[in-house]
Amino acid sequence: MKKYALLSSGVLSLSLLLAGCAGESTSDTSNESGEDSTQISFIHWRGEDKAVLDDIIAQFEDENPNITVEMTIYPSEQYQATGQRLLQDGSTGDVFTSFPGAQFEAIASAGLFEDLSDEEFVSNFDEELISVGQKDGTQFALPYQLVFNMPVYNKGMFEELGLEVPKSWTEFQEMADTLLENDITPIAFPGADIGPNQFMNSMMMNNAPDEDIFEKLQNGEESLTNEWWVKTLEDFQLLEQKGYIQADALGTSQDSAMAMVANEEAAMLATGSYHMSALLGLNPDLQLDLMAPITVEESEAVYEGINTATFMLAVNSKSEKKEQAKEFINFLSQPEIASQYANETGQHLTVNDVEYESEVLKNTAYWIDERKTRFQPRFLITNAQIEAAVLSSIENVLGGADPMTAAEEAQQLVDENRE
Amino acid sequence: MKISKSIYLFFLPGLFLYAVFFVYPTVSALFYSFTDWDGLSSSFQFVGIDNYERAFTGDTIFRKTIGNNLKFMLVVVVFQTLVALAFALIVLKNNKTTVFLRALYFFPTILSSVSVAFIWSFIYDPSLGILNQTLELVGLDFLAQNWLGNSNIAIYSLAVTQIWFHAGQMLIIFVAGLQAIPDELYEVAKIEGATKWQTFRKVTWPLLAPSATIVVAYTTIQSFKAFDLVFAMTGGGPNNSTEIVATYIFDIAFRSYQFGYASAISVIFMIIIAIITFLQFKALRSDRISY
Repeated sequence: MKKYALLSSGVLSLSLLLAGCAGESTSDTSNESGEDSTQISFIHWRGEDKAVLDDIIAQFEDENPNITVEMTIYPSEQYQATGQRLLQDGSTGDVFTSFPGAQFEAIASAGLFEDLSDEEFVSNFDEELISVGQKDGTQFALPYQLVFNMPVYNKGMFEELGLEVPKSWTEFQEMADTLLENDITPIAFPGADIGPNQFMNSMMMNNAPDEDIFEKLQNGEESLTNEWWVKTLEDFQLLEQKGYIQADALGTSQDSAMAMVANEEAAMLATGSYHMSALLGLNPDLQLDLMAPITVEESEAVYEGINTATFMLAVNSKSEKKEQAKEFINFLSQPEIASQYANETGQHLTVNDVEYESEVLKNTAYWIDERKTRFQPRFLITNAQIEAAVLSSIENVLGGADPMTAAEEAQQLVDENRE
Repeated sequence: MKISKSIYLFFLPGLFLYAVFFVYPTVSALFYSFTDWDGLSSSFQFVGIDNYERAFTGDTIFRKTIGNNLKFMLVVVVFQTLVALAFALIVLKNNKTTVFLRALYFFPTILSSVSVAFIWSFIYDPSLGILNQTLELVGLDFLAQNWLGNSNIAIYSLAVTQIWFHAGQMLIIFVAGLQAIPDELYEVAKIEGATKWQTFRKVTWPLLAPSATIVVAYTTIQSFKAFDLVFAMTGGGPNNSTEIVATYIFDIAFRSYQFGYASAISVIFMIIIAIITFLQFKALRSDRISY
């Protein structure tokens, strides 16, 4: 008897353990009226958009009583680490988002994107801005947000000091000198976190106007020791040596850099348009606009700024609820829904006919159509180790290294990681 | 006493957990280390020892991370052990003050890594941070530094945070070890006229060796795996100066999607930790004295 009791206990323990490890399936649920509804999973990394997306999901569920949406938000780092692995068995992320660049390439290589090319809702998006979600002519993902990854500047301060937006590197330095004379730091640079990966884009856009430059770097046709990158590093060095960026920039977090601009201790924030709402939250009296440094002479300048179409909406190819997932993307691409999302999150979107209501979005909307911007070069580096090498050369220079030495060290890493 | 064979069934849950959460991942890592698996695709190819060859001969950053890890480990092991031992000697006797101090020193241990990273990132901030501001306030502004932004000192700044975070944990181990030493030995040492230093060197330290072994081994492993603090405070920068093996494995696996190569680095990493820990056990056990 004792033997059987022990045996039963052992089996029970194992059963409980296995039961505890087992997953829970919740694909079909009931809606409020008691009808069966299909639950789709929507995963992304934009925690700051939760409130507006909750509201949009509620509207979607009202219009589509047979579909419910379970939204799961991951911190962006965690999303890169675990989000896409969840896609693999198809039970999570029926609708998911992807970053352009390395993550898009990896998910595409793994065959986890459903082909959206023939979907009607694709025409709701600006054709030119969604090309980043294509691979080999197939529309795998639809970028939703349009971000300008270039410095935000205090327009009111510029007007007060009689400064105009510089059109050349010489004018940029003159402008920065005037700000310094007025005890204002020209650029708040969050070097401890996103500064290098954001500011590199506008710093290099005219030094290397060839949009295939990083593709060439990755296949060995270009080198970081060539003029275009060494000049970019020299320009960074000049910013640091002349005090155009704050002292100890590599230790400055984005919160500290934002505080400098909000307190009007600095004139520009070297991040992007996505920080404009937060800056106005810190100081509602600020008048803001966007301005990229032109690092060449006016006649040589090709681009005026940087854009990134990101937060790319996609359907999981392993999903069993693809139609419902597509219905949700279709809903998000309706102009009135997209307008709500844009205005409540302070983001420009890639969706056609969006009506921007907030002042800051209206005032900067001219960047979408009237200015010549190029897609963020950093996202065209599809090898994350090569991207890290490029960024580390900037940190190296800001830490005091000679630009050519930093370029050579970075190029060595590029050579080691080239596929 | 005869033990029923069915008693062995009680080992099964533990064995199952061990197999699932330790043996399987370890064997998997070893297996994938010989492949080019990207972590997402269902297919992969065997690449022999290419990943290991790359780690040893073709990866500058990996070698740098080993160096960073060793620097970090040495500073943390030496100073965390000394700080924990010194504080343990201070709070050894049981009274209200020492019990309060033990709780106070232990407090950082119960915080989450992210909270600690947030607190210390603020302390180290070059312009708003309390550390530089305090130095300036007391006239020591020449000591103010860009603590996390200077690639020459950032790894040591992280080490200080790690020591603050975990010294309290080690203190408890030392206190337990010190309290287990019989008072008679101290009385004999006193009668024999031993000085305080001689008493510590000849009585306390030898009998504390088992505790010290645990502290040093645990601190070593902990410092090798200090992923969370590094990830949250510097992300490995600036210029890879704080990149350690654990954060590098994360980068390779989850940003570069090279799971095969990340697995190879993990295996090398595991072997390095095992060797260092084994050497420490040998070295510290040789100091033991029997009475």
